[in-house]
Amino acid sequence: MSSTILRRPQVLIASAVRSPKSLIVVLGVILVISLFPALRETLPDWAVRLPKAWLPDLAGPINRFFVWLSRKAEIGPLRVKDISRGLAAVIEMPLSLVQGLLVTGLELPLPLRKGLQLNALPWWALTAALTIFGHWVAGRRAAALVLASCLYFLGLNLWDEAMLTLASVGIAVIIGTILGVLLGSAAHRWPQLDLVLNPTYDVMQTLPVFSYLVPIILFFGFGPVAALIATVIYAMPPMARNTTLALRRLPTSVGELASMSGCSPRQRLLLVLLPAARQGLLTGFNQLVMLSLSAAIIAAVIGAGGLGNVVLQGLKSMQLGRAFEAGLGITLMAIVLDRLSRAFALRRPSHGTKMTGWRRHPELFCGLGILALGFVAAQVAPMTRDFPAVLTGSSGRMLDDFFTWVNVSFAGPIGALRDGFVRHLFRPTKDALLSLPWMAVVLLVALAAHQVRGIGLALATTAMLSFIAITGYWDMAMTSLYLVTISVVIAVLIGFPIGVLAAQNPRLGQATALVTDTLQTLPSFVYLIPVVMLFGLGDFPAMVAIVAFALPPAIRYPMDGIARVPQSLTEAADMAGCTRFQRLIHVQIPCALPEIMLGLSQTILMAFGMLVITALVGTRGLEQETLIAVSKAKVGEGLIAGLGISFLSIIADRLITHGSARLRRRLGQV
Amino acid sequence: MPDTSSIIRCRNVWKLYGPGTDATRDLSAAELNDTYLQTHRLVPAVRDVTLDIQKGEIFVIMGLSGSGKSTLVRCMTGLVDTTRGDMLIGDDNLTGIDARRLIDIRRRRISMVFQDFALLPHLTVLDNIAFPLRVQGKGRDARLARARELATLVGLDGREDRFPHELSGGQQQRVGIARSLTTDPEIWFLDEPFSALDPLIRHEMQDEFLRLQGTLHKTIVFITHDFEEAIRIADRIAIMHNGRVVQIDTPEGLILNPADAYVAEFTRKIPRHRVMRAGSLAQPVTPLAEGTPVSATALLADIAPRILSSDRPVPVADDQGTIIGAIDRQQVIATIFGTGAV
Repeated sequence: MSSTILRRPQVLIASAVRSPKSLIVVLGVILVISLFPALRETLPDWAVRLPKAWLPDLAGPINRFFVWLSRKAEIGPLRVKDISRGLAAVIEMPLSLVQGLLVTGLELPLPLRKGLQLNALPWWALTAALTIFGHWVAGRRAAALVLASCLYFLGLNLWDEAMLTLASVGIAVIIGTILGVLLGSAAHRWPQLDLVLNPTYDVMQTLPVFSYLVPIILFFGFGPVAALIATVIYAMPPMARNTTLALRRLPTSVGELASMSGCSPRQRLLLVLLPAARQGLLTGFNQLVMLSLSAAIIAAVIGAGGLGNVVLQGLKSMQLGRAFEAGLGITLMAIVLDRLSRAFALRRPSHGTKMTGWRRHPELFCGLGILALGFVAAQVAPMTRDFPAVLTGSSGRMLDDFFTWVNVSFAGPIGALRDGFVRHLFRPTKDALLSLPWMAVVLLVALAAHQVRGIGLALATTAMLSFIAITGYWDMAMTSLYLVTISVVIAVLIGFPIGVLAAQNPRLGQATALVTDTLQTLPSFVYLIPVVMLFGLGDFPAMVAIVAFALPPAIRYPMDGIARVPQSLTEAADMAGCTRFQRLIHVQIPCALPEIMLGLSQTILMAFGMLVITALVGTRGLEQETLIAVSKAKVGEGLIAGLGISFLSIIADRLITHGSARLRRRLGQV
Repeated sequence: MPDTSSIIRCRNVWKLYGPGTDATRDLSAAELNDTYLQTHRLVPAVRDVTLDIQKGEIFVIMGLSGSGKSTLVRCMTGLVDTTRGDMLIGDDNLTGIDARRLIDIRRRRISMVFQDFALLPHLTVLDNIAFPLRVQGKGRDARLARARELATLVGLDGREDRFPHELSGGQQQRVGIARSLTTDPEIWFLDEPFSALDPLIRHEMQDEFLRLQGTLHKTIVFITHDFEEAIRIADRIAIMHNGRVVQIDTPEGLILNPADAYVAEFTRKIPRHRVMRAGSLAQPVTPLAEGTPVSATALLADIAPRILSSDRPVPVADDQGTIIGAIDRQQVIATIFGTGAV
């Protein structure tokens, strides 16, 4: 039977495309051939793995190109190097101003004399002002949270690091907002831009952060500016996408109103479209803030400083207590930033505020006043700037000892658990994936792509997978894929039942929503800390971190999807005499299936997002290659391996979202 | 009627959707037929519409969804480009008009009320009403003063500082109406302004609209899918079907002489005594007629009780007081209960 297939593949593919049954047969045959060594022998070698001699050297030329570009290339009279230096200087100005105000102090250049030294803002002024701003934006509880966070940073001697991180996030958010709104509005005005922007955003969002750190270092050097640029690249796409989406979702009448009022194109955008789309813009803004924090933490790898650096140093020197304290600090900051930026998005104007100026926003002006006062105080009486040292402390040693104790006393069970997973799940899965001939994988994916979408997607997946094979990273890609696959399966096995249960019970639902919302705000980096503490290094802790990070969508989408099934349908099921279980199986889950599938795709994307960071705990797939590229400054290897991960996640996402859309159309839920 | 009094003139207006609509401009009228449209995969939203709208009249465009009425009014306002034909507002032809000139027309001569209100969520009632003046660069005090006048005119006193989401649907549309009157336009387009409202509120807003027009005397183009609404407010009605204007007439004219079965279907369910006026029912005067004459413009519904209670025909007089005919009990009964033979 296998020889027939090899001889006349077109015929079989054609018939497979026509009927799902023969598709399943073809898939089965491919799998059987792939998995049984004896049958695999019948395949030509190049179909299993491309021989080394065939592989072109892509990384070398890319490396040479980037070195040339960053050192020697000229655009007209200007050298690229000078342009990038100039850009760095422009970006550095606001960054060092804010950092100076918050942490390091400023030096004002004066003519003739030595520059005037100005001290940074004192802790008490910043704490008071931040708390007041928190109250202004989000109310009393948020203000209490801000105050508590400030005290946490002060007490654990993390104040300067926290303020540095805050400064990077602030500047990144400002740049990201401006860029995002500009690009988003442009894509709304000229829809053709989507053709370029959408794939670019896809790659920007899925490309491992380490792989674009290298070119950025080449152009901008090691340090905060490079970190800031990486942060903007990582965090800006959702702002731009949400802007375009929000503008497109506006009712046509809003645009017509702008026309009928005689707006010029600029008035149309600034006075009508953007304000009317405010809600959608602020959703993007919230994502921008959270991703900026996440990236600013990871950017510690290239010298951004701040809280991320404390975690990184802690992990490197195995001072886990300090890393844990900083990680908790990051968690607090994430929750605060999420609260504030969300409250900003939800705020609706209301009447009755006729006052203008400071009386309308007393808190804003009050906070600014305290900051001004603090600034003066810091210059006059510098000793008030620092938090009294007697009040600070660190539980560092104690926590370290605690984790050592945990590791020693539970070494048996933890080790057994880890070994069990590795022996019975990790190795067999990895071996199976590695044994697959690459052609078989390409064919399988292409068939699936054709089924859910059509020939275009099939060609795209084939091109992307072939890229991975041709670059010689196939085995590493499979190593990445195995870890993601296992993690996603486990996340779904845990998440789906929780989501279903939570959808049935409103109180459980509320609690679950609160927990998943909070988990979702945490930067990926934070998840590594407890995992390393408990399980050390390797694939098993990486898997635990990935599962934890990817769990929220695996819970939320089924939960929300089931909760959103129209009431009339569940009532009809009840009236037909369904038991609760029957109602779930026959009505709620089938109706929520498109949503559940989207949840799967989100889970996979999150898993890949976390996988990238797990390189830090010693996984061995493509992600490790991108991390090595950072330390050896190899642009080519980093970009190619990064693109590999990017392609894998894009393929998984496209297959599932198109499958979901197809299902939705069949259910008439368009 | 003299041509000079018509302020909107459509001349063979077409709006086509699909690939290569520009090519249709070079065709002759006969060449642009169904076969051509089908082979070129063009969808006609508006087909060959020619009509004139007079200064100061309430012109209603009536049709079901997909009939092309919204597209036609968007051709008249330049919101969509007319594919073929001339679309004149006063002396300006909107077909191929320069963008600046179009902005100028919209700032001074025309305005529009939208079905979904299209209020800006970030502006107060007053700022929403003043919005068209803000676009023109008028000073804040001047535009707010004008907006306050209009808020009073449409009955929004005391709600000037609310935001749209703090108002009911009817109130929101009052804001939309006030905003469309801010620039004191000559021509007032209303695109299904009351369709999104509850029946009771809708009725109230129609009264309000008629009251406003009683003082403003604008030229009005009013879109609706509701025939009862159309006959309630219209001077003349254009009925659209599949992109074509099937008939243009007064409400009475539509009921008395429907152009085809499609129009007749609409008119069939309409209570005649709410549409028919004495003038069009009057028969040649007989010597039997007696008593004070009724006005030719009186609605049958208002005079029916008197005629029914009288044994003799009641005379009908025009606005000069000349007797033009008479109506008797039989005619009233036949009009109200009869099936068309009046």
